[in-house]
Amino acid sequence: MIEIDDLRKRYGDKTALAGVSFTVRPGEMFGFVGANGAGKTTTMRILMGVLTADAGEVRWNGGPLAFADRRRFGYMPEERGLYQKMKVAEQVEYFGRLNGLSAAAARGATADLLERLSLTGRAGDEVGSLSLGNQQRVQLAVALVHDPEALVLDEPFSGLDPLAVDALVEVLAERCRAGVPVLFSSHQLDLVERLCDAVGIVSAGRMVATGTVEELRAREGRGVLKVVVRDAAPGWAAGLPGEVTDEGDEVLVAGVDGDGQEILRAAAAAGTVEHFGWERPSLTEIFREAVA
Amino acid sequence: MSGMSGLWLVARREIATRGRTKGYLIGLALSALLVGALAFLPKAFDGPDSYTVGVVGSPALQAALTGTQDGTPGDTAVTVKPLTEAGQDEAAAITVRPLADEAAARGALLDGEMDAAVVGDRKVLADGEVDRELDVILQSAHQTAQTQRQLAAAGLDPAEVAEAMRVAPLEQVSVGADTRYAAARAGIATTVIIVLFFLLMQAAMFVAMGVVEEKGSRIVEILLTSIRPWQLLGGKIAGLGLLALANLLVIIVVGLGAAAASGFAVDLPPGMTGIMLGIVLWFLLGYAFFSTMAAALSSLVSRQEEVGSVLTPMQVLFMGSYLVAFFATMEPGSAVARVMSFVPPFSSLVMPVRTAGTEVPLWEIGLAAALMVAATAAMLAVGARVYERAVIRTGARVKFSEAVR
Repeated sequence: MIEIDDLRKRYGDKTALAGVSFTVRPGEMFGFVGANGAGKTTTMRILMGVLTADAGEVRWNGGPLAFADRRRFGYMPEERGLYQKMKVAEQVEYFGRLNGLSAAAARGATADLLERLSLTGRAGDEVGSLSLGNQQRVQLAVALVHDPEALVLDEPFSGLDPLAVDALVEVLAERCRAGVPVLFSSHQLDLVERLCDAVGIVSAGRMVATGTVEELRAREGRGVLKVVVRDAAPGWAAGLPGEVTDEGDEVLVAGVDGDGQEILRAAAAAGTVEHFGWERPSLTEIFREAVA
Repeated sequence: MSGMSGLWLVARREIATRGRTKGYLIGLALSALLVGALAFLPKAFDGPDSYTVGVVGSPALQAALTGTQDGTPGDTAVTVKPLTEAGQDEAAAITVRPLADEAAARGALLDGEMDAAVVGDRKVLADGEVDRELDVILQSAHQTAQTQRQLAAAGLDPAEVAEAMRVAPLEQVSVGADTRYAAARAGIATTVIIVLFFLLMQAAMFVAMGVVEEKGSRIVEILLTSIRPWQLLGGKIAGLGLLALANLLVIIVVGLGAAAASGFAVDLPPGMTGIMLGIVLWFLLGYAFFSTMAAALSSLVSRQEEVGSVLTPMQVLFMGSYLVAFFATMEPGSAVARVMSFVPPFSSLVMPVRTAGTEVPLWEIGLAAALMVAATAAMLAVGARVYERAVIRTGARVKFSEAVR
């Protein structure tokens, strides 16, 4: 379990993190979302020991996260870095060895990963000769080669084609099933919504929301009712409580208190109710709401 | 994984990837070629060490020249010990060719078939001037032949005469500085400084480029979650150092081999093994010092384009050492050379040049080495600290004062 506890970081006058806290449980896929510059990368770099926090703590399974623990983490930094002149398989093996694998184990793990990431044919090529998408796959292989106990991936999906996204999703899901906590940041909110058990939204260095997508929906999305009434007189909804957005047949009522039954009665009185229900906002909408 | 195995993994990667680059392989080939060629250079400019001499009449002179008693005429190449310049312990090969008369001798000389011709025990002919070394040989042989002839004429047994005239040559002993090998020593010292300059510069640049490659591409972020900064830095310095050391050893082997092949080896001063071991030691110290400095400085920047400017302090120090060392090749006994051969890091270039250029007391070498070891240890401590703090701070150039604090 990774616990991020009240991290704070300043660069001169600029506050990068003003108290970031969240927890990634074993087997949980945690999506870390936020606008550019919100503090995602800073948080992850502190987590991986690349930066030191001014205050706050990162804990691993209850104790302070130490160097020896981090060696068993898989990390993909925001700015990708590989040795351009080194061959694909050699490079993945090298990082496996650095993380403590024996030569044979590193070779085996590399072959497996390259197979899964459809890179077997490029194993002997220099990394620099690969397309950016394929370099990204190599970067993933580097993060995964030592069968890490936790994964920290900064924007792992950016720059991947749909097939590579599927391959990565599969690998991550498998690691999660094995009980590994997976933390990744992304701007692709639809992907986060589809994949993640939990989501953390960071804005201007502060956590503005954390929880499962359902919890966030319940928190952010509640209070918006969507009502569709056929044959209603125009303007029937004008007197309803809350903020009304009237788009003809479809009426959205935001800021509803209580269970909304009075709105249902008003709708039934106005015409034939075809649809009546709480809106299920997408993560994108939740995100917009949260960082607004 | 222990600390050392992490360091060794890094070193192995450096050797495997850098050792395969064109830059390294071309440098290796060129430096070996250059030193090999230098070993042949003295012989190319020296006069020949083999002479063809025509002799008209005088079997006794022929015998003296060829060292045989019966003076069998014919083209006999033998070696005699010439009384040449000090310390030139080498042997010149003399080929004696009997000639019918003076006219034949003149013709052969003008045709360039021989270097000199002795006619009737009276005169020596040459096209122009007789080579100095050859003149000494001929005069000595003439002296021997005439003495033997006159003693025999006085009724002494020729065999006894020959026996009596077998005299050991005088051994030269210098009471001041031994200058016998001055030319050879100067040549070696010049070669040493060129080789050390090239190897140290190349290795330090490899280290700097490697550091910036890892920093600029952010590989260092992944690396440093797996290994400690000292392992990464130490492995890089060790790996690239081994490559440079291999290059140095190849140069030494090729140089000494070529010297043996060219005949230059006989001109080499005594104690070459010690001189060569010293060069390896000084190279390692100099490399550790300058490459650590290069690594620390280059860790302040994130882009290859900035390496040149950030390395300026190291390059100034290195060029300064090189210039003093180059001066020392010309004046190895001067006070400047002597003093600077103690001052680190100048000593790493000046002392090997001095030891090659002249005799240096062991205690001086020991003291200079101790000072350089101390300076290298200090550089490693400061360099590792700067590197550790700066290498992760990508983006704008890190101020040295911030990194060292």
